[in-house]
Amino acid sequence: MHKQQVIRRIFLSCLLGLLYPFSLLAQQAVDVTAKADTNSIRIGEQIKLQLTATLTPAQFKDPNFRIIFPVLPDSLDHFEVVTRTSLDTVSNQDVHTLHQTFTLTSFDSGHWQIPPMRFEVITGANATADSAVTLPIGIDVNTVAVDTTKAFKPIKTVQAVPWSIWDYWLYIAIGAGIVLIIGGLIWYFRSRPEKAPVVNTPTISPYELATQQLKTLKEEKLWQQGDVKQYYTRLTDILRTYFEHQFNIAALEQTSEELLQNIKPVTKLNQQRDKLRSLLAIADLAKFAKLQPTADEHEDCMVKAEEILEWTRPKSGAAEEDGTAAEKQQA
Amino acid sequence: MENTSSDIRQLNEKIHQASAFVDLLTMELGKVIVGQRYMVERLLIGLLAQGHVLLEGVPGLAKTLSIKSLSSAINAKFSRIQFTPDLLPADVVGTMIYNQQKNEFVVRRGPIFANFILADEINRAPAKVQSALLEAMQERQITIGDNTFKLDEPFLVLATQNPIEQEGTYTLPEAQVDRFMLKVVIGYPTKEEEKLIIRQNLNPEASSPIRAIIQPSDIIEARKLVREVYMDEKIEKYILDIVFATRNPEDYKLNKLKPLIAYGGSPRASINLAWAAKAYAFMKRRGYVIPEDVRNICFDVMRHRVGLTYEAEAENVTSENILSEILNAVEVP
Repeated sequence: MHKQQVIRRIFLSCLLGLLYPFSLLAQQAVDVTAKADTNSIRIGEQIKLQLTATLTPAQFKDPNFRIIFPVLPDSLDHFEVVTRTSLDTVSNQDVHTLHQTFTLTSFDSGHWQIPPMRFEVITGANATADSAVTLPIGIDVNTVAVDTTKAFKPIKTVQAVPWSIWDYWLYIAIGAGIVLIIGGLIWYFRSRPEKAPVVNTPTISPYELATQQLKTLKEEKLWQQGDVKQYYTRLTDILRTYFEHQFNIAALEQTSEELLQNIKPVTKLNQQRDKLRSLLAIADLAKFAKLQPTADEHEDCMVKAEEILEWTRPKSGAAEEDGTAAEKQQA
Repeated sequence: MENTSSDIRQLNEKIHQASAFVDLLTMELGKVIVGQRYMVERLLIGLLAQGHVLLEGVPGLAKTLSIKSLSSAINAKFSRIQFTPDLLPADVVGTMIYNQQKNEFVVRRGPIFANFILADEINRAPAKVQSALLEAMQERQITIGDNTFKLDEPFLVLATQNPIEQEGTYTLPEAQVDRFMLKVVIGYPTKEEEKLIIRQNLNPEASSPIRAIIQPSDIIEARKLVREVYMDEKIEKYILDIVFATRNPEDYKLNKLKPLIAYGGSPRASINLAWAAKAYAFMKRRGYVIPEDVRNICFDVMRHRVGLTYEAEAENVTSENILSEILNAVEVP
């Protein structure tokens, strides 16, 4: 019995010894690694962690073969995952390599380990699952050394950002557009054909206008109808308007006394002034004191007005001047 | 009732006779006042139109002498109040004092109880004293304690302001200045006039004293006639045009005046312009107003009623400049 047990044990040991190399071969078929770009960082600095799985061409071509990369949570023990890339495949003739890169950082100072990464390997028609595990990686997270013996330094001023002309391309384009539009408008208005000036040919002189108005006033027979005030208002207005345009004095805005003073330089004859004074005096009484002059006085005032027009009528040489005055009147 | 042509003719004759005292009065005042005819004329306008006069001029221009002589010529009572910073309203209008014998309060009337008041340097007294005087001017009555006293008619206040010294003065507010019918600016006499002034002062015996030409009751009668002076609708429109041009210059094609005028004439300006024009026509012995009358008194009635902006002051534009522009732009009827 004892002898049989010993033989059975030797047999099993030999069998295990024969199978062991096959199991090793199976494990070495998928090579997985985890590699960090550095093993020492300052607090808050970033580490690139690259996970790699290397496959043989047979495994790569095998439709039943699959490898599942480890799914890292956002936060590992003492490490934070900042970014992660998608899976990348690099194929050569002999090997096929799968890569995935993670950016990690740590805010805890000390010596920490990135834990082993477990890859799931599925093989065969019956989907046999196996695992491949990477080695842990030790990382030193160091704090920034502060020299407390030194004085505090002031806060740094705002740093000027280097500028590029392309930062302002939109403004430059708008400015150039406005300049072009203004330039175009200037060019348009300058090159536009000028309109021919409209020449107003004088049609009637102040003298003729006043004569016509006096004639109309006579025909209206205002004083004969009892409207004496209106008659003298119109009569003096005609004379004042005539003086204004003929002699360029603001006769409409002057009282009778002022008018007599200001008309002096243009009507040199005393007789003219006396007639004008007499006419304006009667007109003022009729306009402001309800005076009812006699019929003879009405006629006399009209005659005086006509005489004043005749005396102050411009000579033929001054016809041009008349025209100018009439233009002003029309304006 | 509307005036007819014959009414106005009768009125004209009546006024021609009644206004004769104006020339006599002017001649009488001329015995002691050399020159200053303009100021005397304005005082008479204020007297006839029931207005008050604010006089602006440097000291020594016969302001006191003028109003004192006028009161003598009218046989009226005259008071002079020198306004000072420590003056109290009671010093002007009067106060209640305790009579120990009768064991009661009695009224002590102030200097304002007179026909002619010279309020000398009115801007030297504080606002409450100015207000007391200006209230009396407006209401023509004074209340002391429980008693109200009517002021004697005629009642004319001639207030003076010195345009040079402004330090330590209380400038009259616009609302108070508006209560003066006329603001008259007087200047120095001419060389000839000043020569006569020297002679008159060196030999005071040579000039005869002022005689009473008329009585206060004559002035009250004359005022009634001034009220009757005929003012045509055209003249009323002319007055309104002038006053409205100070308020809305752009309506009279005077856009350039718009930024220079802070505020224009109040309705009181229109009323006073009409009154003063009537009084001026009366003094010229006419029973009706003509545009010359309005223009003649326009500056004195309006100059203190046109407020200037900061821009106008910066450009040295005066209210007289503005009024000149307006009178040259508004059409005369």
